[in-house]
Amino acid sequence: MKSERNEYEAREASEAGRRGTPPGPPDCNVSRRNFLRGVPVLTAAAAVPAMAQTPATARHWAMLVDVRRCIGCQSCTMSCIQENVVPEGSFRTVVSTYSVEVTDARQPAGTYVLPRLCNHCDNPPCVPVCPVGATFKRADGIVLVDADRCVGCAYCVQACPYDARFINHDTNKADKCTFCAHRLEAGLLPACVETCVGGARIFGDLNDAQGELRQRLDAARGELKVLKPEQGTAPQVFYIGLDERFTGKVEGQGSLWKPRARHA
Amino acid sequence: MNTAIVETINVTREVAWLPWAVSYFFLIGLSYGAFLLSLPGVVFRRPGWEALSRLALLGALVCGLTAPVALLADLHQPGRFWHFYAYFTPTSWMSWGAFFIPVYLVGLILYAWLAFRPLLAAHGRSDGRLAGLARAIAYGGLESRRALVGAAVVALVGALLVALYTGVEVMVVRARPLWHTPLLPVQFAVTAFAGAVGLTLLFNRFGPARHDAVLIGRMSRVLAVSQLAALLVGVLWLVLGVSGLAPVHAEALAEVAHSPGWQLTAVWAAGATVLTLLLSWWRPGSGLLVGLLALHSAWMMRWTIFIGGQEVPKTGAGFYSYSLPLGPEGLMGIVGTAGLWVFILVLLTTVLPLERLASARPAGV
Repeated sequence: MKSERNEYEAREASEAGRRGTPPGPPDCNVSRRNFLRGVPVLTAAAAVPAMAQTPATARHWAMLVDVRRCIGCQSCTMSCIQENVVPEGSFRTVVSTYSVEVTDARQPAGTYVLPRLCNHCDNPPCVPVCPVGATFKRADGIVLVDADRCVGCAYCVQACPYDARFINHDTNKADKCTFCAHRLEAGLLPACVETCVGGARIFGDLNDAQGELRQRLDAARGELKVLKPEQGTAPQVFYIGLDERFTGKVEGQGSLWKPRARHA
Repeated sequence: MNTAIVETINVTREVAWLPWAVSYFFLIGLSYGAFLLSLPGVVFRRPGWEALSRLALLGALVCGLTAPVALLADLHQPGRFWHFYAYFTPTSWMSWGAFFIPVYLVGLILYAWLAFRPLLAAHGRSDGRLAGLARAIAYGGLESRRALVGAAVVALVGALLVALYTGVEVMVVRARPLWHTPLLPVQFAVTAFAGAVGLTLLFNRFGPARHDAVLIGRMSRVLAVSQLAALLVGVLWLVLGVSGLAPVHAEALAEVAHSPGWQLTAVWAAGATVLTLLLSWWRPGSGLLVGLLALHSAWMMRWTIFIGGQEVPKTGAGFYSYSLPLGPEGLMGIVGTAGLWVFILVLLTTVLPLERLASARPAGV
C-alpha cells in the first residue's frame, strides 16, 4: 500500500510538472517569458532553506493565515484553480468575504475577509469515514486522497466540518487542497502562498525551529486561532486576526454568489 | 456592539449525496420494515396475518432488490464498487454497510423463495403467464419449515444490521449538527417501518382482500401505533432541543429553527403524521389513503434529512438553495429508480399473482 501511494504522489508530481510548463502562445515575447519562468524559482529559493532544516520524515507542514494582511483579492483562489485544474464552480480555497455593519453606531460597514482551505487536521474527520481507506494523512501532515482508490461516495465531503472537500466533476472523485504536495516535492511553495499579494499566507514546517512559520507562530502565541476548535479536529491551518464571529458557521445574511457550472 | 453580517463572496457547496441516496434510504428502509411485517404471518403463522405478511414480503423483496441499484448510482465511481470489498475499512460505517447489505439480501431472497415456493409451484401448475418460469423457480415447491426459519434468522440479523448502519452512518457526521443526534437512527427506523405498513396497505388495495375491513383495520392499527411512535420521538427530539438538556439536539434545532422554510417543513411533517394517525385509527377506509400518507412521510423525512441537511452551510451564512436537476443526478434518477421498482414488481407479481399471494389461505393449500 505504501509503495502504491508513493507512486501516486510521484505521478501527481509529474503531472503537475507537465502542467507547470504550459506552451506559451506563439507570439509571446521570449525574453519576458523566460523572465517570468524564472520568478517562481527565485521565490522557491527563498523557501528551500526552511525545508532543508529538518529531515523529510520529521516534517509537519502547516499554514498560518494572517487575516490582517489579506486584502481579499482572490489571487489564491485563482492560482489554486489554475495550478490544480479545479473544475469550474468548485474551489479548493476561497476567500470568504463579509460586509460587517455595526448596527448601533453610525459608521460605514467594513469588510471582513477569511481565506478558507483544507485545514489538514491532525484529527481529520474525513479519514475514518472513508469506506475504502482512500483518504489518508501523510506522515508530513498532509491529508490526501488516493484517486486510484476513491469510489466517489462523498462521505468525506459530508464529514468535513469546513466544507473543504467536494466531488470533482471532471474526475468524479473526492477532491481537496493538497497543500500543493506536488509543488512541495519540487521544492516550491503552494500556489496560493506563492501568489498571495498581501503575504497573508505563511507556509512551512512546524518542526523547523528556524523556519518563518514556526517563528511567526511563536511570536503570535496567544492570538492564534483555528476554525471550529470545538470540533476537536486539531486543524493545522492557524489564523491571526480571526474574529470570534467567523470561527464557526457565520450568522448572517446568506451567500449572494452561486457559481453554476455545467457538468457534462 | 451589535453587528449585521452580510456574506458578499462565498461559494455554494453543492449537494454531494444526491437524490439517489434518498431513494436508497427510502427503499432499503421500506424493505427491512416490510421484512419485519412478514414475520408474524410467514414465520409465526399468526392467524389473520398470512395474507398481509406475504404482501409485506413481496414489498420487502421489490424494495430490497431496487435499493442497491440506487445506492450504486449514488457513487460517483459506480464501477469501483468492488473497492468496498477489497479495502475494508473498519472505522467507516459505510464500509461495514457494504457487508451488511449482502447478508440481508441473501437472507431475504432465500427466505422469500422458501416462503413462496409452494405458491410458485401452484402457479406453475396453472396455465397463467410465465407458469413455466414459476415452476422452474419453485424447484419442486417443497415446503421446508426449518430452512425457512433459518433463512428468516439470517435475514433478520441482516435487517437489524442494515437498520443500524443506515442510521448510525448518518448520525456520526458531526460536521452536520442536524444529522448528529442519537435519535436520528430511531427516527429512520420508525418511519421506515411506518412506510412499510403503508406499502403493504397499498399492495392490499390491489389484492383479493381489498374489501376485508378486519384485515385493513388490523394493519391500520399497526400504522397508527407507528405514527404515534414517530410523533413521540419527534416530541422528544424537540423537547431535548428546546430545553437544552442535550446540547447536540439544541445545536441541531438552532441550525434550522429560525428558517421559515424549515418551520413549514416541521409543521407539514408533524401534521401529516397526526393526520395519518387519526385516519388510520378511526377511518382507515380502504387503506389506500393512509398507506400513501405513510409512504409520503417516510420519503419526506429522508428527503428533508439528506437534501435539506446539505442545504445548511457548514461555515457560510444562510442556506444554500437546492433545485432538483432534471437529469440522472436528479429527477431522472428518482423516476428511473421508481421505474426499476415497478419493473421488478411486475415481474414478481407475474410469476406470483397478487390474487394467489394475498389470499387468506395459508401457503401451499
